[in-house]
Amino acid sequence: MCKKYIIALCLLASLIYAQVSNYILDVQVSKAIENSPLNITATLTSIENISSMEIAFRQFGKDEYSIKEMEMKGNTASANIVGESVQSPYIEYYIVIYLKDGSTETYPEGVLNGTPPIQIAVQAPSEKDKEILILSPAPAEKLTPDNFLLSLSFIKAPETVDIKRTRILLNNEDVSSKSLIAGELIILSSSNIKIEPGNYVLKVEVYNKDGNIYHTLSRSVQVVSTARMEQLENQFKFRGNIRAETRTENVSESSTQYSNINATLNASYSFLSIDGQLYVTSEEKSYLQPYNRYLLKIAAGDVFEFHLGDTYPRFPSLILNGKRVRGMSGEIKLGFFNIQSSFGEISRGIEGKLIETYQKENAPLGSNIILIDELKYGNPYGKVELGTYKREIFSLRPSFGSGENFQLGFSYLHGKDDPGSIEFGARPKENAVFGTDLTFDLDNKNIVFNSQAAFSMNNNDISAGEIDDARIDSVFGEGKSIDIDPDQIRTIRDLLGNFITVNEYLGPLNPQELASFAAETNLNINYFYNTLKAAYIYRGNDFQSFGQNYLRTDIKGFNISDRLRLLDNQLFISFGLEKLEDNLQNTKIATTNFDNISSSISYFPRINFPKITLSYSVYKKNNGIDIYDTLYNNYMIKDRTNRISLGVSYNFNWYVRNSVSFTLVNQKREDETLFNNDLTYNSISLSVNSFWNRNLTSMIQVLFNSTELQSTSYDYVSLLGRVNYKMIEDRLQITFSYNPSFGDYKRHYVELLADYNLIANLFLGLQARFFHYPGKYTNSIAGLYARLNF
Amino acid sequence: MKRKVFILLIVPLLLGFKSGEVDNLRKPADDTKEIIALIKKVFNNVTFRLTEKESDWQEAKIGLPLSDGNELRTGTKSLAVVLFKDGSGILRVRENSILHIYGTSEGRKLNKDAFIQRGMIGFDVNKQAEGEEFRFTTPTVVASIRGTNGFLEFDEDSTFTMSLESGMADLSFRGPQGGTGQLNEGNTVVITSDGNFQFRNQNQEDLNKINMSKQATLKKIYIETEEGTIEIEYYAPEE
Repeated sequence: MCKKYIIALCLLASLIYAQVSNYILDVQVSKAIENSPLNITATLTSIENISSMEIAFRQFGKDEYSIKEMEMKGNTASANIVGESVQSPYIEYYIVIYLKDGSTETYPEGVLNGTPPIQIAVQAPSEKDKEILILSPAPAEKLTPDNFLLSLSFIKAPETVDIKRTRILLNNEDVSSKSLIAGELIILSSSNIKIEPGNYVLKVEVYNKDGNIYHTLSRSVQVVSTARMEQLENQFKFRGNIRAETRTENVSESSTQYSNINATLNASYSFLSIDGQLYVTSEEKSYLQPYNRYLLKIAAGDVFEFHLGDTYPRFPSLILNGKRVRGMSGEIKLGFFNIQSSFGEISRGIEGKLIETYQKENAPLGSNIILIDELKYGNPYGKVELGTYKREIFSLRPSFGSGENFQLGFSYLHGKDDPGSIEFGARPKENAVFGTDLTFDLDNKNIVFNSQAAFSMNNNDISAGEIDDARIDSVFGEGKSIDIDPDQIRTIRDLLGNFITVNEYLGPLNPQELASFAAETNLNINYFYNTLKAAYIYRGNDFQSFGQNYLRTDIKGFNISDRLRLLDNQLFISFGLEKLEDNLQNTKIATTNFDNISSSISYFPRINFPKITLSYSVYKKNNGIDIYDTLYNNYMIKDRTNRISLGVSYNFNWYVRNSVSFTLVNQKREDETLFNNDLTYNSISLSVNSFWNRNLTSMIQVLFNSTELQSTSYDYVSLLGRVNYKMIEDRLQITFSYNPSFGDYKRHYVELLADYNLIANLFLGLQARFFHYPGKYTNSIAGLYARLNF
Repeated sequence: MKRKVFILLIVPLLLGFKSGEVDNLRKPADDTKEIIALIKKVFNNVTFRLTEKESDWQEAKIGLPLSDGNELRTGTKSLAVVLFKDGSGILRVRENSILHIYGTSEGRKLNKDAFIQRGMIGFDVNKQAEGEEFRFTTPTVVASIRGTNGFLEFDEDSTFTMSLESGMADLSFRGPQGGTGQLNEGNTVVITSDGNFQFRNQNQEDLNKINMSKQATLKKIYIETEEGTIEIEYYAPEE
């Protein structure tokens, strides 16, 4: 009886796998183990009539199939089903064959009309599989003879297992004696074994202390030659994503619709890589600076880079850094010599508006009263809303040395407004900056020194162009507007005219006072658990680079800080001192001194104990003007700000896993000037993140904030509750938040976010936000997005 | 005033020497130290030492076990791939980085701590079992992660950058506002040395860095020209 069942089962099994098809000869399926990837490869009779093939598969107990395109190579078509989809007791599949004549066939035939799909039994992993881990090689990983590493971990194995008895077999050859046992690891690497390219079966026999076999494991190991590995690595690869969003914002009874699309692409072949980015938004307007972004980047290893579109080139920070340049940038790094260049637009021309016209005799004085086209507008002068000139920059930096241990660079930047780019503008400007920088390090970067210096020239009005001899004679000289020898000006014009437009608006007027000079020097020393940093800065009040808008000028001084690592990198003590002063060229009534001290102690233990950070800082400003100095006491600056903060966070299990954090900040400013801008600020926050299960997390936060400025207080309490829930096998993720605030700031904020993985790599999202201000109004933001990864 | 400043500066330095002495009293790394991880791949100049006080830097090879407290250093154009012994994660230590490996076992559970003194680490960490922790520490930030891949960078001016392609991270950092936060997938956080922070959606640079941090092979090609040979070194994706 039993025999009959076995024969019947075998016949059934053979029927399942030996389906009849006009196009598929046979199908090979890799060993199906739960949570492990499953490979299905179909051998085709002929590919002549086939246009494409798909595999449809579903897990036990599910009605819906997932579809995946099969990769066709030669006379085979294959697909890998990800491990998460491979669940016991079985997985079912069928193959769809799309023919060039537009018709479709399935394998097995008629599956769409009721023929059952093919079933593959999925073996549930043994609990023992989780106890003995094959760390290397990873499943499907390819190794080379030089990089061969086989490693087993017994950290999760029971104490009854005797690690030393473990037998390791490669294609049935016992190689156990060549392996190294280190704690709970067994390691067999290329330094212990000479292995030839080929396919191997790794078999591991694990024994108990009593000598009985406890468990066996096996894995396919593929060793390829270095040349073959290079071939595989050099294959063309690409990835990218596209995201499209639309949202409506209703703010204070006005409604605005925004739409944007963002696409990125990254492709590589051998040492070449290409990155592309495109961002197009409805916020792009001709009367605003660009919102759209375009970028194409081509790179060849670390040697060559070329950027076309919107880029943010990085030159020494005094020259060009953090500025968007629409144009071309590139770099060639040969090590002993490198060159970096950038050219493009940093602001586009935006036309101004003509408000009113004037005859010459009644034109008032004003920064927005400019000469206009009399023939066109009837009068020679106009009051305008000033537009923005198109501004372009060019920068170049040759350097010597790779920068790893030494580099010396020289930088040049030239920026200029295009006076012809708009009609209603005033005072187009020009800027030239020359700089040098030096970096070197010693003792494996334990000592790092870098320094940079730059000198700038600015012309604040190039509308009249370069100054000619007649104008020099009329403006410069004894008894003229500027008492400088005209011949000297002619010499300067001929010399500097190669770099910048020379006229009476060119500065600095006082180069000997280093007004347009800037320099920075930094020294970092890492020894004896200390990280000591010292820096000196000098930036003249007239220093300017069109490539760097965010630099604080008219300042000099030093900064020194140290951070100490103690208790095996668990305790960190930091201390910093900064001393700065302004008014370098005596352009202010008094010199302000800035004295800042900051300190902190952080304890980040590796045991189950809270992480604690305590910080204390003092910021002092004083320009020395006495409060009783009735002439200047309105300019007096004298204040001191103390800030202390404490942050504590702790992870613990109480019913579920929780993460709690507490923050306390106290800041007090004492202003001793006539304005008495004293300020006291206190903030306390407590938040608890709870991880209920793999699908559900929550957060509760309480925040108390109190500010007192000149005896006027502003206090509020804010509560936040947030729940994040994943469902439909993690394909749908929903986040809901409610954030009411009470006290002097009243608001109710509700947020709903949803992200749905519609099909493989395609995600749809929803965002809805409501801001209700009691007694005032309600604002809302609602939007949808779609994201495709490929 | 000058004297006070001098004392304030010199005391931490002296404490540093003191801490070195305490560390020196520990036994050298041997069988008594727990092995936490091993090196899966090395390219170019990768060295390791037991601890700052226990040994000098030595060449690191494939298969080298790393014990609690060991340090790994990569040089220019170098790369190391580290596997944790519980199979919970892989770290790709990029060039010019120093990584300290710490870990403690409690039964079959292993709590891992990767201290990044400087440099950039690409990571791919599985979901941690109940009661297990995987975290990155820098002198300014602690990031506890679970089921996460991305990169972390701690540069010479102590700026911390972390960007996640998937999963999430809980952050604790020092700063003017105290500092705790959560970083979710598709986002990047930049925390400066003074504790100011910025959360943002991943930009193209972050995505490029994530792609780069996944690359675990260093390749060289040589182009012969009339002027000489140009050497191009590049990171290739893991096969």
